[in-house]
Amino acid sequence: MNVIELKNATKRFNEFVAVRDLSFTVRQGSVFGLLGPNGAGKTTSIRMIVNITAPDDGEVLVMGRHMSADLQPHIGYLPEERGLYKKMTIHDQLVFFGNIKGLDSRTAARHADEWLARLELSDWRGKKPPDLSKGMQQKVQFIATVIHDPDILILDEPFSGLDPVSVNVLKQAITDLKKQGKTVIFSTHQMEQVEQMCDDICLINHATKVLGGSLKEVKGRYGRNTVILDYAGPDDFLTPDLVKRHNRNASYSEILLQDGADAQEILRRAVAAGVRINRFELVEPSLNEIFIECVTGTKALASQRVEVGA
Amino acid sequence: MKKVWAIIKREYIVRVRTRAFVISTIASPLLLLALALLPGLLAARGGGERHVTVLDQSGDPQLFDLIKNRLEPHDAGSDEAGDNQPQLTRYVLERRIVQADEDIQKVINNDYTAGGKADQDKAYLILPAGIFDGAKPEYRSKNTSDFGIRSLESAISQAVTARKLERAGLTGDKIKDFTRRVELDTKKLTAEGGAQDDGGMGFIIAFVMLFFMYMTVLFYGLFMMRGVIEEKQSRIVEIVVSSVKPFEMMMGKLIGIGLVALTQIGIWVTSVALLSTIGLSIFAARGVSLPHIPMSMLIFFVLFFVLGYFLFATLYAIVGATVGSEEEAQQAQFPVTILVVIPMMIFTTVMANPNGPLAVTLSMIPFFAPTLMMLRIAVINPPLWQVLLSMAIMVVTIVGAVWLAAKIYRVGILMYGKRPSLAELGRWLRYS
Repeated sequence: MNVIELKNATKRFNEFVAVRDLSFTVRQGSVFGLLGPNGAGKTTSIRMIVNITAPDDGEVLVMGRHMSADLQPHIGYLPEERGLYKKMTIHDQLVFFGNIKGLDSRTAARHADEWLARLELSDWRGKKPPDLSKGMQQKVQFIATVIHDPDILILDEPFSGLDPVSVNVLKQAITDLKKQGKTVIFSTHQMEQVEQMCDDICLINHATKVLGGSLKEVKGRYGRNTVILDYAGPDDFLTPDLVKRHNRNASYSEILLQDGADAQEILRRAVAAGVRINRFELVEPSLNEIFIECVTGTKALASQRVEVGA
Repeated sequence: MKKVWAIIKREYIVRVRTRAFVISTIASPLLLLALALLPGLLAARGGGERHVTVLDQSGDPQLFDLIKNRLEPHDAGSDEAGDNQPQLTRYVLERRIVQADEDIQKVINNDYTAGGKADQDKAYLILPAGIFDGAKPEYRSKNTSDFGIRSLESAISQAVTARKLERAGLTGDKIKDFTRRVELDTKKLTAEGGAQDDGGMGFIIAFVMLFFMYMTVLFYGLFMMRGVIEEKQSRIVEIVVSSVKPFEMMMGKLIGIGLVALTQIGIWVTSVALLSTIGLSIFAARGVSLPHIPMSMLIFFVLFFVLGYFLFATLYAIVGATVGSEEEAQQAQFPVTILVVIPMMIFTTVMANPNGPLAVTLSMIPFFAPTLMMLRIAVINPPLWQVLLSMAIMVVTIVGAVWLAAKIYRVGILMYGKRPSLAELGRWLRYS
């Protein structure tokens, strides 16, 4: 069942088109990655889903119904740039955020205490945000998002600025929520996290969808066009006639092949060059590569569109 | 509605709990009391002592002493008190007898230059030879706008009359009786035609009303603006408007902060009311007369405050929604703040002729009505229809302001870029 469905949604601000003809579906109980570079239209898309703005054309369906104020309590939204009331205690503001989602104060207080304990923040319940570290504040903001036990979570860059320990705590919490049948929408730039957590993705660039589907299927579409090569020696055997892009990190190289190039040719040349090979593996491209490919590839299209418009 | 209530509650509790609220509730009236008394104190001190050389050509040996007597401070209640008016300036007179045929200008010139440099404080009182036959006495000083001159004039007038009566054959007590000052008792005419003793405090009450109205409307309006900016800057708005409509959020804030203001004003009004009923009799028993503030005036104050607050807080909400930071707000708030401040610059005009066409017109302008109509209510009893009309005009303006604010607020709180131009604001109004 589709929990969220966008059908040809378009949002304009005067001449500027923030989202153009966007369609995607989010399955119940899945983790959905909404990806795209800065200014691509992710935030506007999210705002349409949470009923902050309405689309000019097209439809936004949540749980099979047109998005409206009645459906808002089913959604928990963690905006990208977020804050807390400086002069309110952690516990008081969590209760407030529960209240505006329709929770009565007693239930909100109980939920707040449960979540504070779960994220190891119980000692801070009576403190005010300036007394907390940034990471702790971010956890509090996460609690504000889930305090009313929503069916749908929309998290905009939930891990940015968090230390690895906090990231794990939060990931665990999200995984647990998924197990309970909640649907999660992620918006992020960090592709490793998408690869780890997302079932489906939608990539937007310049207000338009450029890629979408299940993560497996999207990667499969690109085929095994990437070589993971762990070697010692010079890299002048990797010439542009075979290699489109080459990312060398500490332990291995990720080599994106030119269209139609044969991976065996790389191996042959490496042996000929006398390079010592520890690992050679033909894989699907990383999401990071796909992201860069799509975003840089659509730039030309975008500039054409501007000319037509002008 | 439950959600709006949550917002109202939050705004109220967070603000009422602060130390600033407690302090301002207690300290503001004290500060204002000091402010109201200060001009009087300053004037009294500022006047200080003034040495006057009396050039006496009258040829009357007793005239000078009579004048001096009347100017000198006496114990209250003493028979000798010729003039019970509080004196702003204390005159210290020094007599110099000048012959009737001497050139007074020469005498002054000699005296003036004798001291070396020209003395700022030097003052001369000339009692001419024909003073009993209508010749005018003359006061010469660098500063002739001193309020105290009136008391000098009155002392001379009484002394001359006393001497004339004595020459006409009257004596002691009779003279005192005939020259007793007539005091004008000022009473306020009430709406019903009755008379009401305002104890000479009418001006102070009016000023206090005016100032409190100005201060509270401005303060709470700015509270609203800061609240909006805080939520916008910290991006809390995103969370709130994903749960509540922007309009509900704005109204919740307006009402919440308004209730904080009403709590504060309620405390003030109650203490004033208690003071004017119970307190008044206690103080009166000790000979201290406190200003009596009629209940109707307090009710009007609260009504005009509520209207003024809603009008200006709504305008300040617009400012808050269109700026990104407190620094930007400093500039952007100017057009609104000036509307609050203008009445404070022109209120003397209204005070001078509170029923004149200018005063009536000004007090009908919705932005000035809370302060200027309140001032008119405190000074005179303006016709009820005028008061009600100004309230009605305000209500209409508030409805318009709220409509405008709702349109701008909804877009503005989610726009984080640069400050919008007026043209852009115009476009915001058309967004759906």
